Amino acid sequence: MPITEKPIIEVRNLTRRYRDRVAIEDLSFTVGEGELLGFLGPNGAGKSTTMKILTGFLPPSEGSAKVAGFDVSTHPMEVKRRIGYLPETPPLYPEMTVHGYLAFVAALKQVPGRAVKAEVARVAGLTGVDDVMGRVLQNLSKGYQQRVGIAQALIGSPPVLILDEPTEGLDPAQRAELRALIRSLAGKHTVLLSTHILPEVTVTCEKVLILHQGRVVAHDAIDQLAKSHGQAEHASLEEVFIKLTAA
Amino acid sequence: MRTALAIARKELAVAFTTPWAYAVFTAMAALSSFFFVSLLEQFQQVQSLAREHGWSKLPPDSIIYRNLTDGVVVQLWGVVMILTLFVAPFLSMRLFAEEKRQKTFALLLTTPVRPVDIVLGKYLGGLGLIFITLGLTLVFPVLLSLVGSGPSGSALEWPTVLLGYSGVLLWGATCMAVGLFISALTESQMLAAFLTFAVLLPWMLLRGVAQSTAEPLRSFLSYLAFDAQLQGMLQGVLEVQALVFFASVILFSLLLTHRAVEAQRYA
Repeated sequence: MPITEKPIIEVRNLTRRYRDRVAIEDLSFTVGEGELLGFLGPNGAGKSTTMKILTGFLPPSEGSAKVAGFDVSTHPMEVKRRIGYLPETPPLYPEMTVHGYLAFVAALKQVPGRAVKAEVARVAGLTGVDDVMGRVLQNLSKGYQQRVGIAQALIGSPPVLILDEPTEGLDPAQRAELRALIRSLAGKHTVLLSTHILPEVTVTCEKVLILHQGRVVAHDAIDQLAKSHGQAEHASLEEVFIKLTAA
Repeated sequence: MRTALAIARKELAVAFTTPWAYAVFTAMAALSSFFFVSLLEQFQQVQSLAREHGWSKLPPDSIIYRNLTDGVVVQLWGVVMILTLFVAPFLSMRLFAEEKRQKTFALLLTTPVRPVDIVLGKYLGGLGLIFITLGLTLVFPVLLSLVGSGPSGSALEWPTVLLGYSGVLLWGATCMAVGLFISALTESQMLAAFLTFAVLLPWMLLRGVAQSTAEPLRSFLSYLAFDAQLQGMLQGVLEVQALVFFASVILFSLLLTHRAVEAQRYA
């Protein structure tokens, strides 16, 4: 499949080992600008590891990863400036208030002093946490904590968003809201979204990448997926997923 | 630099919302006032003995009790220095260990913050905490000079008092730097506090060990001992050697912390 857009994420022969256990092996893929990519795979397939490498949190064992043309290993600061990252566990300080926390993240991301207030208000509005701004993070429900985690990733509107299981712990209504939010971000941002809730991917993402045991087993547009993996045209994502990851 | 300051500010803000910092402040205030009172009593006893029998009849080491500065404040700084050794590990333990346990370290490492800013920010936050803790003890010499000023002026020699105090601050800054490094090595606050204490205490006691060794080793060990390095400053003698010594220990600890933070990416 030809790449029509300019790739903003380029991963080449990426391998990561934890001692003798291989988490991802020889991973190569590209993500075009403004794309919304669903990052799928069974637990332990290497989704989080790949995301950690892309954000500069973990160094690769071999291979290279580039974001907006900058290599993660040699220009980590340039990469970090362009990425908003929500890790599996939202990185929240339990003792801080939502406002204090978001302002702190804005300072870390070097949002100019005068713009901090507006930026915090903007991301709070987008994620719907503006009514809990004065509350302490540890007293918030899981859903609100998750939303604050997403708000944090959005600060500074980085061109690339890497969200590791963002809908974890949300109720169905919140999930629907979040999906709408993520869809609205596409176009302006490139979004890499990991999840193992498949129906969610079908309604949010145009493309999916399926990882299995550290390797890419599929990378295609959702409507093309069934056809290119030799299944009936009406096969659901779930059927394709189960077939590809059964080993 | 701005991010470093933001981290330091966050560190202080978080410390003041938890009961932990207040517990440490209270402990410092309670213990040091306890020692202050007993030092005052001792001072008074020696003074009244001297009035009865004359200074020449008293043992030669009671000469320090001739004035309040040497008899009370310098002694107090010695006590505060020991208290700092016990208190600093509890202030430094959470600096990095807590970030790792809460998984917030990922935030610091994936936002465009240089490791050097992380280390400086954490250290400045830690310095703020220890300086506030130590600042509480400044009330004692102030009390003495308020109550004890006579016609001949203040009862205290302020230059000596303040130089001794800056020695205490320097010592606090050193404890925090060592504690910061150890905190960067572990996820467990308890372990960080315990290890910091286990490093600082023998280092402090090194002078005692030095006494029982033969010459070349002896001066080497007493040079390394925190205690020996600080004595001069506590008594109001400014020694460049001590300044250089503590500055090197702090700098070295910060460099090691920087390495530890960078190595986090390679764990």
